[in-house]
Amino acid sequence: MGTENCRDCESTAEAVERLERIYEYLDGALSRDDINDVQNHLSDCPECASDYDLECLIRSVVKRSCTEQAPETLKLTIIQRISQIKIEARH
Amino acid sequence: MVLTSMTVALLDRPPKDQVVGVDSLTMSEHTAPGSTLSEEIDVASETDAARRTRFEREALQYVDQLYSAAMRMTRNPQDAEDLVQEAYTKAYSAFHQYKPGTNLKAWLYRILTNTYINIYRKKQRQPQQANTDTVEDWQMAQAAEHTSSGLRSAEAEALDHLPDNDVKEALQQIPEEFRLAVYFSDVEGFAYKEIAEILNIPIGTVMSRLHRGRKLLRNLLSDYASERGFKRREEG
Repeated sequence: MGTENCRDCESTAEAVERLERIYEYLDGALSRDDINDVQNHLSDCPECASDYDLECLIRSVVKRSCTEQAPETLKLTIIQRISQIKIEARH
Repeated sequence: MVLTSMTVALLDRPPKDQVVGVDSLTMSEHTAPGSTLSEEIDVASETDAARRTRFEREALQYVDQLYSAAMRMTRNPQDAEDLVQEAYTKAYSAFHQYKPGTNLKAWLYRILTNTYINIYRKKQRQPQQANTDTVEDWQMAQAAEHTSSGLRSAEAEALDHLPDNDVKEALQQIPEEFRLAVYFSDVEGFAYKEIAEILNIPIGTVMSRLHRGRKLLRNLLSDYASERGFKRREEG
């Protein structure tokens, strides 16, 4: 079991750094070279691959849970409020 | 309705629409160049009626999304409604400053966030914000311990089945500055640069807030999954 773990990720500091790379990878914030590095690493390191899966899951769970529908009246109230606004200053 | 000078100053710099190095995974909702938003509009000579129609057509489609974000800020439906109303009112008053073709959603989020910070949060005076640094320190220490061995398959499954309210509560426990960054990134798929513009902070700060916020969230969710009676992460 433990023998499969990649040596790079044995220390906590390394693991934290790897996790942050996974975040950035998922955020679409890495260069092409970095993306290749991360992908290679993920296919070699079960620990990081599992962290990656988990991070994907967390994001989907957060997205699912935080999608709310505004009360029906809200849109109408907004329309009514802005119809009363008179824009005076024009540039 | 009069804008405060602070808000106006912030509105003077609408977010830019260009996003670098985006991954389709997180940026799928972004306005593509050449969409209806970039049609030629002479903002200066537009009549009030035309302007209002344009605002209703383009800006009001984001009501649900802004409301969801407002719920993460204010934590209750009535306050969230008030905040969204206020933000839309300000946005409409400043709509002549919005540059057609740029990212309207990010622009609205920026107004929402500013409205929340300038008006709402002051009034509310949330007590737990005072201790952000202390909370952060111990939470971070805990986060570092659990990072690589935190959630594993059994708990991943538990997490997948967590009720929405648990997830919202977990998010709510993260200090606000981290929470908003995580929310904007995970739920709205905004790029670092856009989050930086919405929150008016440097990109480096966005990244560190995201990293910290995500680690905290990961551990909190792990706790919730454990509390729900699933396999414990570690033995006492």
